[in-house]
This record gives sequence, C-alpha cells and structure tokens, in this order.
Amino acid sequence: MVEARLAYRNPPRPYPPMKKSLPFLLSILFLLISVLLSIAIGSVFIPLPDVWKTLIGQSANPTFATILWDIRLPRTALVLLTGAALAGSGASYQGLFRNPLADPYLIGVASGAGLGAVIAMSIQWPYSFFGLMAIPMAAFLTGMATVLLVYWIARVGQSVPTTNLILAGTVFSSFASALTSFLMLRSSGDLHRALGWLLGGVSLGGWDSVLALLPYVIVGLALLTVSGHALNLLQFGDDQAQQMGLNVSRAKTFILIAASLTTAAAVAFAGIIGFVGLIVPHVVRLWWGGDYRRLIPLSIIGGAAALLLADVLARVVIAPQELPIGIVTALAGSPFFLWVLRRAKNQGYW
Amino acid sequence: MIEIKNLNVSYGSRLILKNISLHVKKGETLALLGPNGSGKSTLIRALSGVAPASFDTLSLSGRSLSGLNAAARARLMAVVPQTVSLPPAFTVWETVLLGRTPYLNFLGQISAKDEAIARCALTKVDALSFAKRRVGQLSGGEQQRVLLARALAQSTPVLLLDEPTTHLDLQHQVGLLELVHKLARDENLTVLIALHDLNLAARYADRLALIVDGEIKALGTPKEVLNPEMIAAVYHWPVQVMQHPFLDTLLILPEG
Amino acid sequence: MFRKLTFVLLILMLVGSACGPVMTPTSALPTFTPLPVSFSDGLGRIVALSHPAQRVVSLAPSNTEILFAVGAGAQTIGRDEFSDYPAEAKSLPSVGGSMGKYNLEQIAALKPDLVLAAEINTPEQVKALTDLGLTVFYLSNPKTFEDLYTNLETVATLTGHESAGSQLIASLRARVAAVDAKIAPISSRPTVFYEIDASDPAKPYSIGPGSFVNLLIARAGGANLVELAGIKDAYPQVSLEQVVSANPTIIVLGDSMWGTTAESVAQRPGWDKIAAVQNKQVFAFDDNLVSRPGPRLVDGLEALAKLFHPGAFK
Repeated sequence: MVEARLAYRNPPRPYPPMKKSLPFLLSILFLLISVLLSIAIGSVFIPLPDVWKTLIGQSANPTFATILWDIRLPRTALVLLTGAALAGSGASYQGLFRNPLADPYLIGVASGAGLGAVIAMSIQWPYSFFGLMAIPMAAFLTGMATVLLVYWIARVGQSVPTTNLILAGTVFSSFASALTSFLMLRSSGDLHRALGWLLGGVSLGGWDSVLALLPYVIVGLALLTVSGHALNLLQFGDDQAQQMGLNVSRAKTFILIAASLTTAAAVAFAGIIGFVGLIVPHVVRLWWGGDYRRLIPLSIIGGAAALLLADVLARVVIAPQELPIGIVTALAGSPFFLWVLRRAKNQGYW
Repeated sequence: MIEIKNLNVSYGSRLILKNISLHVKKGETLALLGPNGSGKSTLIRALSGVAPASFDTLSLSGRSLSGLNAAARARLMAVVPQTVSLPPAFTVWETVLLGRTPYLNFLGQISAKDEAIARCALTKVDALSFAKRRVGQLSGGEQQRVLLARALAQSTPVLLLDEPTTHLDLQHQVGLLELVHKLARDENLTVLIALHDLNLAARYADRLALIVDGEIKALGTPKEVLNPEMIAAVYHWPVQVMQHPFLDTLLILPEG
Repeated sequence: MFRKLTFVLLILMLVGSACGPVMTPTSALPTFTPLPVSFSDGLGRIVALSHPAQRVVSLAPSNTEILFAVGAGAQTIGRDEFSDYPAEAKSLPSVGGSMGKYNLEQIAALKPDLVLAAEINTPEQVKALTDLGLTVFYLSNPKTFEDLYTNLETVATLTGHESAGSQLIASLRARVAAVDAKIAPISSRPTVFYEIDASDPAKPYSIGPGSFVNLLIARAGGANLVELAGIKDAYPQVSLEQVVSANPTIIVLGDSMWGTTAESVAQRPGWDKIAAVQNKQVFAFDDNLVSRPGPRLVDGLEALAKLFHPGAFK
C-alpha cells in the first residue's frame, strides 16, 4: 500500500528528453550554407578568396565590390527575409486554419497586393524615391485592406469561424486576380512591368527594399514566434482551446493580423512567390513534429534557407539568363515535397 | 457549489436551452440525460463559456462566472470532450501538458511542477506507459483517458464531461466511468457529465437531470427520476425499471 | 491598438527606407567636371556626363540601332538579348533582358559609363542600375518624327557624334519629305488592317491611335481600319466582324516573323471574303521596321508607302 502511494507520488519520467537544440543548430547551419552560396555564386565568377577580401574591405577590385555589396548582398538579404516571412506565415496559417493546404495567400493578401501594385503602376509617378516606393506601398496597403475586408465579412458576432475566412478569402482572391488580369490586359504598355513584379522582383530592390521590409518581417515574425503555444491549443478546435483557457478570438485575430502583415510586406517587395509558405512548414513538421512553438521558428529559418537555394538555382540554371524565382520554387519544390511525403506516408504526422 | 438560474442559449433564432435552473453540490456527480438534441452538450458548452448564454445567475461557490476571462474560467472547470476531433500528431505527453495552460505564461513555458502534475494525471488514468505515442495511434478508449488526464492536469474543482462514452466499447465505457467516479470521490471533485446511457447514469451519478427540448423535465436521485412513466414519456418507448440483481443501482430494460 | 501599431510600423518603414540610400555601401561615385551638356531624360532625371560616353550598354534593340546609326557602334560594349540589327550588334556580349530580367552582374562587370534604357525598361530597373553607381539615360518612345530626331540628336551628343547625328537626321528628314511629296497629290486612301497577332483569328490584335505605327500608316497614305472604327486603344483586340465590315483593301502582316503568311490568312474561316484577301493584297511585313523606335522607322514609312501606293513609287 505504501509502495503504491509512493509510486503514485513519484512516477517515472516517460522518456529521456530530446536534445532540444539539435533542430535549431541544424537549421541555422543550413541557413549559413545557403547564405554563403547566395553570396558566392552569380553570373560573374568571383573566386572565394576575393569574396572574402571584398567583404572585409581589402579588395582592390571595385567591380567585385559593386557586385558583392550592391547586387548580391542586398539580394541575399531580400530573399532571406522573404523566405522567412513566407514560411513563418505559412506555418501560422496552417495552424490557424487547421488545414494542410493553407499557404500565406489563402485569404487574399497576394491577390490584393497584386491589384494594388498594378493600379499603382498605371499611375505615372514621378521618378523619385516616393515615386518608386509607391508600388510596394500600394501593394502592401491593398494587401492588408483585403485581409481586413475578409476578416470583417467572416466575423460572426465575437468569433471568426475559419470556414468563413477561407470562403471569403477565396472569393476576394478570385475577384482581385480577375480585376488585376483585366487591368493588365487594358494597359498593354505596362504589361511587362506588372508581369515582372508579379513573377517576383527580388533582383531589383536593392538596399532600399531590404531596409523597408526589415521592420515588418522582424516584428511580424517575432509576434508569430510567441504565438506557438496558442496555435498548439487551437489545433484542438476553438471550443477545446477556449475551455483550456485561451481567449480564442483574440488569439486568432492577433495571429491573423501578424501573419498577414508579414506576408503583405514580403509580397510588396518580392512579388508573389509560391510554394515556400506551403511546403517548408510541412517538411519541418515531418522531421521535427507539430509543436508550433518549434515549428514556427524552424519554418522561419528553413524558409529563408530554402528560398536562398531556390534563388541560387534561378541564377545558375540558365545562366547568364535568369529564371523567375517563383518558377524555381514550383518546379523544384513539388518533386522534393513528394519525395519527403513518400517517406512519411504512414506516420500520421498531420 | 454551481448555481444556475434561468439560463437561456440560442443559436441564431432557435432557442436551445430554456430557463435552465440547476444547483450542483460540491463533490456531487450530476448526470445530464435526455434524447439527442435536447441540449445536454449545449449546457456543458454554456457552462464552460463556449456557447453564448443569457442568465440570471451563473456562479461557482458564489462567484459569478460572467466576468471571468477564459484563463480564469479554465482554472475553475475543465472539460473532457468527445474524442472526435483530436489532432493526431500530438503526443499524449504534449496533449496532457496543454491542460496546464491556465497556469502558464503566454509562451506556454512548462516548469518542473507542471510536468509533475501532468505525470500524476497520466498515472491516475493509467496512461503513463504510452505517454510518448501520438494521439492518432491510440484506440478510442485510450484517447478518452488521455483527455481525462488533460482535464485532471488542469487542476480544477469542477469537471465537465460531454458524452465521454459515446464512441467507446463496453469495457472502456465502464472503465472510464469507474475512473471518474473514483477520482471524484478521492479528490472531492464536482462532476457534471452528459450521458445517453440510462443504466450508466443510474450507476455512477448522485443525481440526474433529465433534459427534454431544452428544459429540465426532472431533477433528482436516480430512484426519483428513473421511473417507467417518465422514461416512456421522454424516450417514447416502454421500459421496465428494476433493482439491479447484484449492485446497488437501478436497471432499465426496454420492452419488446 | 492595432491601428497605432500599423501607423508606427509605417513610420518605421518610411524612416528605414529613407535611411537606405544613405547607408548603401556603393563604390565611390565618379567625380565629374561641369559639363557642356546635360539632358533631362524620359523619366525626368537630369543626366550629366563629363565627356562623351565611350562604353555604352544598350538595354533595347531600338537603342542599339540608334547607337550604330549615329556612328557610336564602336563605343557600344554590351547589348540586350534581343538586339539583332545591325549584324555587328550580334557579336556584342548580351546582358539579358528576356523575361524582363537583366543580368546586373554582367552589366556591372562591363563597367559602362553610360547605360541606354528605353521605354520597355521599368523605373525599377533604372533605379537598380543607378544604385550600382552607373549613369543611365532613359530614352522615351517618340510620338512623332520630331521626337525621333530629338532622340537621335541626344544619343549622338551623349556619344560625341554630333555631326554624324545631324547628317543622319537631315537625311531622314529628306526621305520623309520625299514620301510626303509623293503621297500629297493622292486623294484616295486605302483602308489598311495592320495585324500584330492573330492567334485567335476571330479576335486579332492590331494597332491604333497612340502607337507610332498608326502615325506611319497615315503618313504613308493609308487609313487605319482601327482608327476608322473609332477605337482609341493603342494595341486593341478587334473582332473579325469589325474587320469584315470595314473590308480593308490591304492587310499588312506585322506577325509574319512568327510564321503568318498570306496563304494562312486566306485559309482562315471568314477571312476569304475580305477585299484584301480576294485581291491578293495581303503582305508579309517586318514589324521591326515600325515597332522599334529608331531610325528604321523611316524605312518602315517608305515600305508602307510603297505597299499602299505602288504606282507613286515606280
């Protein structure tokens, strides 16, 4: 009897704790390698020792300096931020909607942003700082406006049912896309500019775009990272999450806004790049489990690395020509994901 | 301990619960019975704050529940839902730890004390041996025990169970209710449990509330509530009620 | 609270972007002495060169043609993927331009002192190049022949070939005047349909007011079907019904470089009743002569005039 009571008080630990930091270390290593590749590879061959010398300011070659500091580094930074933003938002959306097919564009951010960009392009802004920033700003504002509109329509009293969000989001996405296509057809002169933006304009931003994007991505992703626990709770449904003590409508609103802000900013500067937001969280989930406290930060790091690799491929595959990065993510991402999925078919990981 | 006066719940224009008044004593197990759609689950949801309700009184130990936020309410009552929609990827351990949410910060950081309580809860339901397995790989009975452990980990004085035996086979039904009964007795928990099986309700509940079309048709001990006329009127089928041959409870047998 | 947060973030963004150019690590800007000439380019930017450009990269086929025409071919060190005229241009290194993407690294590596952009280049592309410390001049598409002459003069000055430029402009003017003289006494104007795409033969694309081709057709003594139909778009899609009812006398196949021939037009359902088809007045045409905003526009004018009024050009 005493033994039973003692065992009751001190039951054995169920299993030895896993090294918590291993996935993070591996992911960061992956990211560092991707960053290195992105800086070292380009259509102009710069030997690695010269790359190093130029970065630490000891190179005699001004062309190398221009290429590294003004072309490759800002591009690397922009791609890194975009990949992080898309994968982090994608993971959050998948958790929020409890839907494995959710990606950051589900409720209309991208279509809205595209519409805003195309409208802004039809206006003859002066060639000034604000004139050029007008396009990303317009894209960002319309992207956010679309999300808020979808949210407002989907609301039922105090709660925001996810089904309503998806339905309203799909409707607005289609509408905005159709309108965008129409506008593009009408303004044949600016068609190539709009297409270039839509397919992904990571090559043109420069440091201005990086600095403009940076605060949004950092703040947005920080907010999403701390929402991991709430997302875990939400996996059990709104009712159970509330019954366990989560203020469900506040949490959902918070996550929705943070993810949409991050996505809208990324789309505004990099155009619409698909698959990263959808696939990276799944890969992370397959390897490291579905705990959102880990899934979100790991997706952020993994997304940055994955998009960097895709960008390197985009620059290398048909050099000196360049593939739009959205095409690389689609072409490379799908088969890779099928391979990963095959290996985890029966684990019931979702 | 739980005081409910004139509780109304409507979904849109439909009135689901009408003027429900109920008093549950501390340490008591009250079973909610009634045909499908009568409002049993809705009452549980209204109590736990998930269904919007209007009422004159809704209080626990004299403290009104209406002003409480979700976390405060979750420290007072824990819900064991049906096992229908569990995310299969979570492990048992992770699931039970989530029950500690009302005591955690917003990041969900777990302390050693939280882990101890979770382990304790798993031991009580005898689920510690499969703590590492994913919920999706468990049987219905095991899943229900995990949900019970999660509710116990929430360390609340009140336990609400929403038809926990619906998808279970016989040994798990009885096993779960025996467990709830024993835990309620050991830890003096106040339990509200929605059931559809009259015999189980008679065996394991101190009092029964028979809910029909959103109203309480009868409230009292099993002996008071479970008489053939009442049951036939509610369920539209003739039954015989007799004393159980070897247990101190009633046996309800449908007639042919 | 959310509104405040957005406002703060917006401010942060604006401030952050304003700090951008200041913090951009570029190579040292080239010093230059005040110049004899500075131009305002098509984007309204003031572009200044300390001396005539010796290393020019062209980002559009029209610019390449202009450079070679004013005698600056030897100073052109790079061109876009699609520059193919004159033949010498093809041997120059390509800096991209397909799918709208230029190879910035290649351009930087060539170390040009002038990059000549055209209207097919976007303001973002111009900015990306100026961020690298390069001098970019954006040549807007001409709306009239005078605009064309101005562009030629500008490029000639930028590359130090003012006299060659003036001679070119003078000869072009003379040729245009010659066409005007031959066309002026002719009172009848054939209705012309200029086709740029007929992937869907029931809804072909043509050119209308606002495009230079429209101006050329009128100048060459033709009447553009699109303009007669009252359509205002520069590159409209018209319906077969409109073409049939206008019954053009002449059809010019601007899409002949993509394989369209007079025979294929005759085989299209519904096209066989059109006067131009029945009288075998369907002509293949090199669209580059009228769509590239360079000196060959005059070649295009002459070619069209010969098609519309062959009798005047015997």
